Amino acid sequence: MKAIFTLFFILVSFTSHAAEQAEEIFAQLTSSLYQIKLIDKASGEKSSIGSGFQISSDGMIATNYHVISSYARHPTKYRIEYLDNLGNTGELTLKSVDVINDLALVEREVTAPMDYFLLSKSSPQKGEKLFSLGNPHDLGMIVVPGTYNGLKKESFSDRIHFTGSINSGMSGGPVVNKDAEVVGINVATSGNQIGFLVPHGKLIKLYAEFKKSPPADIKKQMASQLLASQNELMSTLLNSPWQPKQLGANGIIPIIDVPFIRCWGDSNTDKSDALILAAVANCSLDEDTYLAANLFTGNIEIEFKHMQAKELSDSKFYHLYQQQIARAGAGNRAGKGDVSEFQCQHDLTTPQNNNMTSKSIFCTRAYKDFPKLFDVLYLGASVDKGQQALVSHFTIAGVSQKNAMAFTHKFMEAVSWK
Amino acid sequence: MEIIIEEISRGQKLLHRHQLNKSTVRIGRDYNNDIILSDPHICPQHLDINFNDGVWTLTDKNTINGTFLENASNKKQSANQHIIEDGDIINLGKSQLRIVFRDHKVAPTVPFSAFENLIDLLRSPIALTLSIAIFIMVAGGVFYLNNPIESNLSQLLVSAIGMSLLFGVWPAAVALVSHLTKNDARVMAQLGVSFALFNLMWLSDLLENIVAFNTASHSVMLILINLVPIALTFTLLWLNSYIGFHMTAKRRMVTALGLTVLLFGGGYLVQYSNKPEFDPHPNYNATIMDPSFLLAPSSSVDDFVEQSKQLFIDAEKSIQEEE
Repeated sequence: MKAIFTLFFILVSFTSHAAEQAEEIFAQLTSSLYQIKLIDKASGEKSSIGSGFQISSDGMIATNYHVISSYARHPTKYRIEYLDNLGNTGELTLKSVDVINDLALVEREVTAPMDYFLLSKSSPQKGEKLFSLGNPHDLGMIVVPGTYNGLKKESFSDRIHFTGSINSGMSGGPVVNKDAEVVGINVATSGNQIGFLVPHGKLIKLYAEFKKSPPADIKKQMASQLLASQNELMSTLLNSPWQPKQLGANGIIPIIDVPFIRCWGDSNTDKSDALILAAVANCSLDEDTYLAANLFTGNIEIEFKHMQAKELSDSKFYHLYQQQIARAGAGNRAGKGDVSEFQCQHDLTTPQNNNMTSKSIFCTRAYKDFPKLFDVLYLGASVDKGQQALVSHFTIAGVSQKNAMAFTHKFMEAVSWK
Repeated sequence: MEIIIEEISRGQKLLHRHQLNKSTVRIGRDYNNDIILSDPHICPQHLDINFNDGVWTLTDKNTINGTFLENASNKKQSANQHIIEDGDIINLGKSQLRIVFRDHKVAPTVPFSAFENLIDLLRSPIALTLSIAIFIMVAGGVFYLNNPIESNLSQLLVSAIGMSLLFGVWPAAVALVSHLTKNDARVMAQLGVSFALFNLMWLSDLLENIVAFNTASHSVMLILINLVPIALTFTLLWLNSYIGFHMTAKRRMVTALGLTVLLFGGGYLVQYSNKPEFDPHPNYNATIMDPSFLLAPSSSVDDFVEQSKQLFIDAEKSIQEEE
């Protein structure tokens, strides 16, 4: 699922459905639309591009965080520039970000009050016609009509499902209603006719907070947003019902009953020559927070595997079983500059109901730029039945120590034999 | 008037011993000599040793290649007219002779060590066969466990026998080297000792797994059990050299230790040099065994989670250290 979401500011192509209404809107708003470019200072060339739109008369411009993420992470390496409809360029300063909703505020210098986009006071109706605007690389501004289809279901962070042929290269561009008021911001695409927008309410909130107290340090702002977001997510998870569910012949596993955690299953019952019958349940939160090209966080993966030996000795079963659990990896992408190496511990554990003995492995690594934030990994392997095994595993990216420990505790207590 | 002349090799090993009871001993390549040497660099009439006035004197008969005293400080000290002392070694041609008198002090008797008895036991045909049979069985068992699909007996047997042949190369090579260095080859003893030790190494593997399975991370037991294979390797090398080579106890110790350090230190170095600068994958010990090996009591979830606090501290610390 992760792979389907492509951040589309790098890709460039377009088709145009020029409708009369679209033309009108386009002509009215084009002076407040910008192409946002990140310039690598050393080489003097652009390293990424996206779109942006002015939201105040004094030069405040909204765009996606991922358009300017390289600058947010390495402010000395890059500078941000705009290109307007007349071909003028100028420098922008980063004012505020919302990493969770992929928004950023940048500001240009203005001499006289300028035209700007009005943010809508209300949300659109389902089926309402909307217009997505953006500036794909070197092709100029385009406008794409489409339909509002409500908020994306099964999603933790709010995203508008926009049915329309949104084309690549428009990240950070506005989506407006027929009155030319902004109702969303282009953020991602999921293939033909399916696009995702950040609701305009997130931008209103970000701008209002900025006007009240502008952030002193973008990195600290990001760290506190990540901490707050994982707190909200983890407390939702911890306080939602965990339904016990049977896996395979004998395993009992917890299924967290929240819409945004989705589960998939598979088994090898069709393979008659397999030495071990295996049933797998896989649950995950398919949303990750983009921090940089090689650093994602915020995703959760939970996996259970029930294994039953078919005419195997205990020792051979356990030998093959060990190979199954020997290589667990992190659930998110992160590199040397972003995180520490994993620290691991293992022990034999038994939950309070004394129902199962497991070999439990727990690993964690810390983020370099975001204090108090960790990636964690847990792996439990039952070791008390000769011919049967239950593997329980999860990874959580970007979580606080307290939440990670609480989740691990609840998870370990929830896995058992029937 | 009795004199004992020993032909010895360059490595000081005895080749031939002559006990003579006459006042003049003639040495050379001719068949009319008292001691006939076949070395082509020796003259037909090479040297005489005469007993006069209670001492033996050596006379070189103007030979082409000369006669010299074996002397650490002066290699080319001529032996002509030398008054022989007990234990003198002389060089003639490419050969060496050692001259000793009847009252020559010999080294004290070496008692049979316990090792000698152990080695004798291990090299007996029954013990040797048993060791190799155990080795083949264990190797077959390991192949069976590692094979992800069903495997038949003959496949396992072929692999296991192949593996034991491979492991047999080591004792055979040691025996060959000791044979080449004019020591006893003692192939059976080398084989017996090596396979007995190989079997102990299988056992230490099993022990290591049991300990890794039953203990929590960072346990002292786990570190200790890791020393067992090192100790076994040292023992094997020590016994190999004890059987195969005559050397002082100190030198044997140094050799065995040196080789052990080379083996494990080298292995560690290779591992260390291959280590990536940053490892994005977690490294944990995933050893699990079937429930019959489950010996230790398990911890509660509370304890396990509580203990993980230290990991968070360590992770943060590793970042601070980098900065």
